[in-house]
Amino acid sequence: MAGQLEFQLKTAERRVALSVSQLVRLVRETLELHLDQCWVVGEVSNTRLAPSGHLYFTLKDARAAINVVMFSSAVRRMRFRLDDGIQVVVRGRVNLYEHRGTLQFYAEEVEPRGFGALQLAYEQLKQRLAREGLFDAARKRTLPILPRRIGIVTALGGAALRDLLRVLLDRYPNLHIIIRPALVQGPSAPLEIASALDDLNADGNAEVIIVGRGGGSLEDLWAFNDETVARAICRSRIPVISAVGHEIDYSIADFVADVRAPTPTAAAQIAVPNKADLRGRLFEKQSALVNGVERQTSALRHQLVRLESRLPEPRILLRQLRQRLDTAWEELVEAANSRVSRHRVLLREFATRTRISPGIVAAGRLRVAHSATRLAQAMSARAGSCRVTLERNIAWLNETNLRAPVSQARSRLSRLFNQLETAWRSRLHQQRLTLAGQAGRLDAVSPLRVLHRGYALVTKTRDGETVVDAAQVELGDELDIRLGRGRLYARTLGRNLS
Amino acid sequence: MADSNPKKFEDEMADLEAIVTKIDSGELSLEESIAAFERGVALVRSLNQKLDEIERRVEVLIRDSRGELKRSPYQGELGSSAKSEDPEEDDTF
Repeated sequence: MAGQLEFQLKTAERRVALSVSQLVRLVRETLELHLDQCWVVGEVSNTRLAPSGHLYFTLKDARAAINVVMFSSAVRRMRFRLDDGIQVVVRGRVNLYEHRGTLQFYAEEVEPRGFGALQLAYEQLKQRLAREGLFDAARKRTLPILPRRIGIVTALGGAALRDLLRVLLDRYPNLHIIIRPALVQGPSAPLEIASALDDLNADGNAEVIIVGRGGGSLEDLWAFNDETVARAICRSRIPVISAVGHEIDYSIADFVADVRAPTPTAAAQIAVPNKADLRGRLFEKQSALVNGVERQTSALRHQLVRLESRLPEPRILLRQLRQRLDTAWEELVEAANSRVSRHRVLLREFATRTRISPGIVAAGRLRVAHSATRLAQAMSARAGSCRVTLERNIAWLNETNLRAPVSQARSRLSRLFNQLETAWRSRLHQQRLTLAGQAGRLDAVSPLRVLHRGYALVTKTRDGETVVDAAQVELGDELDIRLGRGRLYARTLGRNLS
Repeated sequence: MADSNPKKFEDEMADLEAIVTKIDSGELSLEESIAAFERGVALVRSLNQKLDEIERRVEVLIRDSRGELKRSPYQGELGSSAKSEDPEEDDTF
């Protein structure tokens, strides 16, 4: 075999072209010749179990990496799970996968070797920053409800940026978004991410910053476990949402950020509210305002109607009085008549018994008739005066509008309604009064101004009741006197009630 | 750069909620209710304005050759439905 190899090397020197297959086979044969079975130490990453049962992973150290394949028969013999980040010793042989021309290590046996170095570095940094208080809940800022300018730190052209822009602008179409591009993987990523955060702070427009990237392997996300990035997030004056696309594992950036989102899409949802929802909420509040005032005014209206129905109708009252007068008159006339006729009967009986001369009887009869007439006249006069009084009262009732207070209340209510409507309309079309104007008005009516003119506000220390009458105060009561500036505390030594 | 609004959105929203609760409690006189109502309506209007006051912009922040920060319009794609304007742009108040 060595002879053939030498022959082919010579061929190469003579610039006779090899086919790809020839070259790859040449390399494979060289490897087989010089590298037999060996043990390799390294960190496991990118573990993938194929449906065939073969296990593929990458073995690496600080400077290099190699693809490893472990066939299903060897996988079945393993007694532990090959998680990413662990340090292992692998026995096997290196060879060339001719089909792709890539170097592969064919593992036959794997032994664990404690935690991987990267994992260890992560744990150490996490503990150190936690001790410094970088993860403290008290340090975290609350996000504004309505940030109108959003800063983004991620790679231009990445899936994360596409997702962020789509969701942000869907939820809030008129946003101002400021993208500060940064590489998010590779050795320069930590420094780029950190200075991007600093730049957004220097620009000062963003009210929230989203920093992140889409999903990837543990190595791809490693920049977000870097101390430089953690420090930059910590010193950002603008609240930061981390969005490192990894549902399960937390990066160091996640711990330092004010809010951690599992994915860029989730970060966009956390960062801005849905504008249509906010609009709906405002509309609800507005309806609640209108309903509240309407409920109150309609309750007052009902009360008014109820009171009105309890007021007696004056005309009915008068009719009843008139009827009573009529009945009384009839009774009176009847009583008078029966009395006159009884007297007549008595007179006749008397005349019969005593045989008084017809002349005397006629005179008596005349007197009776005369009395009857006088009685009738007197009764009629009395009834007439009653009637006059009644008519006077009727006239008074007719003149006096018993419903005036009701209609006054009604017009006051409708005046308030008008005011309400005017106020509503003017708010629609006019600028709101300036705050300064309102403050001025407030100042003008403030009781404090009165106090500045030398008056004092006196309250009882015991219950805070305002004292307006000396009788409210007992001797010895403590008083609280508020002046234009400051307060006095006094005790009552005497009082004059007049 | 400075915020043009003296009062923040969340503060005004909180004021509005308080006014609605007060009116709903039924403890105010009619005159007080109407005054509170006016304040509430003014807040709704101001909040609605705040929702619209920012112009849609997507920019890229970079450092130019002299190291100065500079913003320029983003040229990339903005995602599918993001191009359509807000359908509920009509001002309810």
